[in-house]
Amino acid sequence: MTKTATIMIDDQTYQVPDGINLVDAAKLHGITIPVFCYHPKMESVGMCRMCLVELGSISVNRDTGEPDLNDDGSPVVRWFPKLQTACTQTVRDGTVVRTSTAQVLEARDNILEFILTSHPLDCPICDKGGECPLQNLTMAYGPGRSNFIYDDKLHLDKHVPLGELIYLDRERCIQCARCTRFCDELVGDDVLAFHERGRSLQIVTISDPPFDTKFSGNTTDICPVGALTTADFRFGARPWELDEVPTICPHCPVGCNLSASTRIDRDFGGKKMIKRIMPRQNELVNEIWTCDKGRFGHHHSRAADRLQHPMMRQGGEWVKIDWATAYHQIASKLKKYADSAGFLAGPTLSNEDLWELRQLAELTGDTPRLGVWPAAMTGAGVVAQVGIGVNTRLQDVGPETAILVIASDLEEEAPIWWLQIKQAADRGAAVVVANARETKLDRVTHTVVHYDYGDAVAVLNSFAARARSRRKTSKALLDNRVDGYDDLAAGLKGTRVPFADAADVLLDAENVIVFAGAEGLTLDQHRELMQAAANLLIITGHVGRQNNGLVPVWPGANVQGALDIGFSPETTASLIDEPPAMWFIGGADPAADDSQAAHVLANAEFVVVGAQFMTATAAQADIILPRQSFAEREGTYTNGMRRVQRFYAAQGPVGDALPDWTIYAQIGARLKGPKPPVSAAAVMRAITQHVPRYAGMGYSSLAHVEAQFPDVGGDDLYYGGTAYANHGGLGVQWATDAEDDSARLVVRPAQIEKPEKSGDLCIVPVRLLYDRGPLFEPSDIMHQRVPEPYLELNSQDAAHLSIADGDRVMVTAGEIQIETAARVNGHAPEGVVLWPRRLAHGPAPALFSACSVQKIEE
Amino acid sequence: MLAEKHADRINKIFAKYPDKRSGVMDLLYLAQEEYGWLTEDALREVADLVDIDPTQAHSIAGFYTMFSEKPKGKYWLQVCTDLPCALRGADTFYRELCAYLGVEDGGTTDDGLFTVEQVMCLAACDRAPMMQCNFHFHEHLTIEAAKELIEKLRVQAQPETQEDGGA
Ligand code: SF4
Ligand code: SF4
Ligand code: FES
Ligand code: FES
Repeated sequence: MTKTATIMIDDQTYQVPDGINLVDAAKLHGITIPVFCYHPKMESVGMCRMCLVELGSISVNRDTGEPDLNDDGSPVVRWFPKLQTACTQTVRDGTVVRTSTAQVLEARDNILEFILTSHPLDCPICDKGGECPLQNLTMAYGPGRSNFIYDDKLHLDKHVPLGELIYLDRERCIQCARCTRFCDELVGDDVLAFHERGRSLQIVTISDPPFDTKFSGNTTDICPVGALTTADFRFGARPWELDEVPTICPHCPVGCNLSASTRIDRDFGGKKMIKRIMPRQNELVNEIWTCDKGRFGHHHSRAADRLQHPMMRQGGEWVKIDWATAYHQIASKLKKYADSAGFLAGPTLSNEDLWELRQLAELTGDTPRLGVWPAAMTGAGVVAQVGIGVNTRLQDVGPETAILVIASDLEEEAPIWWLQIKQAADRGAAVVVANARETKLDRVTHTVVHYDYGDAVAVLNSFAARARSRRKTSKALLDNRVDGYDDLAAGLKGTRVPFADAADVLLDAENVIVFAGAEGLTLDQHRELMQAAANLLIITGHVGRQNNGLVPVWPGANVQGALDIGFSPETTASLIDEPPAMWFIGGADPAADDSQAAHVLANAEFVVVGAQFMTATAAQADIILPRQSFAEREGTYTNGMRRVQRFYAAQGPVGDALPDWTIYAQIGARLKGPKPPVSAAAVMRAITQHVPRYAGMGYSSLAHVEAQFPDVGGDDLYYGGTAYANHGGLGVQWATDAEDDSARLVVRPAQIEKPEKSGDLCIVPVRLLYDRGPLFEPSDIMHQRVPEPYLELNSQDAAHLSIADGDRVMVTAGEIQIETAARVNGHAPEGVVLWPRRLAHGPAPALFSACSVQKIEE
Repeated sequence: MLAEKHADRINKIFAKYPDKRSGVMDLLYLAQEEYGWLTEDALREVADLVDIDPTQAHSIAGFYTMFSEKPKGKYWLQVCTDLPCALRGADTFYRELCAYLGVEDGGTTDDGLFTVEQVMCLAACDRAPMMQCNFHFHEHLTIEAAKELIEKLRVQAQPETQEDGGA
């Protein structure tokens, strides 16, 4: 229980959590103290003076501890002689505050008049107009007229680019420092700052590239005026014309809750169109933030080159066909190839799509081959046992918790988790970062483990061994619920512990969370990594509880859902090794990601591809099915923390494209399958009946919302900025075995399989947030942030090859030959060429493929 | 480059502080001394030395009036026109000074010798009007005294300018 304090606000007595901010305390009881600079997610600075109140405390007799009383029996209050800023006060027993006396009202009036002296009042052309805290507070508390002369206003620059994504309007800025503090305090990218002082003060950035952070868009939400606006939305629409539709980001496993601001728009043929993407509050997921990929990466849904009609290849030409023909053709091919069909699901298929794809596949045989793409990570069983505890809130994690991030460059792979871990570190959480190279997360901690690629599993095994030798194992769990411990213990005996300090950081914490990626790991190694992580968590008892357990950094938004519904990366691997005659691919582009897959597809007899664009894989198809993007349809995604979340149809249709589940069900109906379901909700109902973990979910429970703190997006837009209130649902997180006291937990020795490194230099592909993948490339606004194709070399290797930073080089890996730029910046380990995925179009080399790099002489 | 040319001084600066970033003011000052004013390149150089984002160096340089991010004349005349000084006639003094030099507020004379500027309190309010010339205080000023100083500086600068011109 948190301690409570008894305080008085406007002569009423209230109970509030002890020590919280006074503005928040008042807010909890529905009392508004207006603010500009204060933000509940940031430290208070007391810069704007908008929150002035009368403040006092109940006078207590030092000897008796009893309150001193006036003659009439009321407590004596010692008032501060002057008004105080509420945002810089924390509450304790006896705090007394008056928020609406004549003196307070006059102060607010004065502050607003003062702020407005140099404000341009160009609300009619301001993007913030209509949802602007300064407008709202001026209407509520401000003066109707000014003592200052309008013509004397100071005029400042209006279209100052802070990089290509965010624009500054200098004269609208009220100098609250929310934007700079967001960058500084919350993100740790010190790329925005005040320059000069007083009237000349302005927000500047000279980082390279300007405003160099992956979270820049959030500053436009929390800016309490229209001083910061996005290039994406500037002058795009007025807020009151917009219809907010809840959606989920399709780009990474965090599953940020977003709000698509839509309106019927001429630019989209008179159809409903997404004008901007805003974060939608879900304190259990993304809080009120989103990364710039999620915010600006929605243009793929309206890209001009989206596939609009089903097409069939005839004599080397693409011929437009109608849906009925497509269904019929595919059904007959599935009948023909029933014994040899393979199904591959991409990372943006919704659970409903996956379910119907599985139903379709099962019509071809009892044990259809269901693969998931990318097939880089596995461990569905392990996650079902020890996935992160239900109701974990990363924002609450503090000194009692240790977080291990292994084999992942988290800022690139799951930016909001990176941000939350960075903030957890600031609150005192112990962070251990383990990877074969330096990543940006290294800077939040002193405990960094740099292993050799191939040693990730060994590192985790050594941590488990250390847990045993230090007797940090959980007896209760091992005695009652764990199978396989003797074997594991035997295997761990004698294991060397090269990173004992890092191990101890984890072993000495009350809670442990492990984020596991797959950088530099083959699928087989990754299976062992997940097991090794589970072993560590189980034997130390860090499972089945809030703020404990495993989070896989899946390579996509709904990989978790695909695994839940029965698709597996192992099947994908077998499909590539022993290819089927017919491929049925939905929303995946294996041909672009993997040269072996490309090769296999080229030799297949019949290929059906559901796609949004003419990808490398679609180009190999015999029939192409145009699928709808996340914007036009509804569905659910399951994020990396197993939270099943709904998204809603936000945008008008494109061509004849359909949701994948409809397409699959229609084909199924032509194979004597059941009548197609009438809605995505109906598909979800079927899922809940057949997938035990999803039992009891359903579209209405997923849409359930509860009051959240801070209270944003209501009448009090000024409070948390323009993050949108959640009306679409907080989602439901399914519970793991560890949470069920009667379930057994299984450990087994995790095998260390060293990769066979061939040659002096070998390739390790790495993930970048900003790449040229088909769902991101159409966002032109982001092009300057996507690097030109490059590879990274170790300085020693580069020296041997006489290659300098920035040189053009030719890489040869097997049959693949690519010209690209070399970076030599000290991040790549010796003997390794880091290869960012999806920067270049064309075939990609596989993990650990031997390569040679040659400088191209100018 | 500062790092090569002033390695010793830089090391001494770093030795004074528990962490590198605390040395930023000293290094900006050093850069200004070296280059005459703080160019964007100079800001980046300093930021790199103390391991902060160049934006932060820019911000610091912008906050303090004793750092300049614009080219300056050989003599940098900073006149305090804050309220206490203004009450003793500093604003009139400043206007007259500008007129004498033939420049606008904040301007530099055509010969590149003098830059004038108004600044906030320099803690010599009781001796106003006052100004600092390349960080040296001149107090109890009258416009005549200022003219005298300016002419003296002109003479002082002359041989150098000629040499410069000839070089
Ligand atoms: S730009 Fe906006 S957030 Fe930043 S200081 Fe100005 S008003 Fe505040
Ligand atoms: S963090 Fe991931 S889910 Fe969130 S907006 Fe960015 S890409 Fe989307
Ligand atoms: S001073 Fe309290 S909100 Fe700004
Ligand atoms: S006010 Fe001018 S020196 Fe203080």
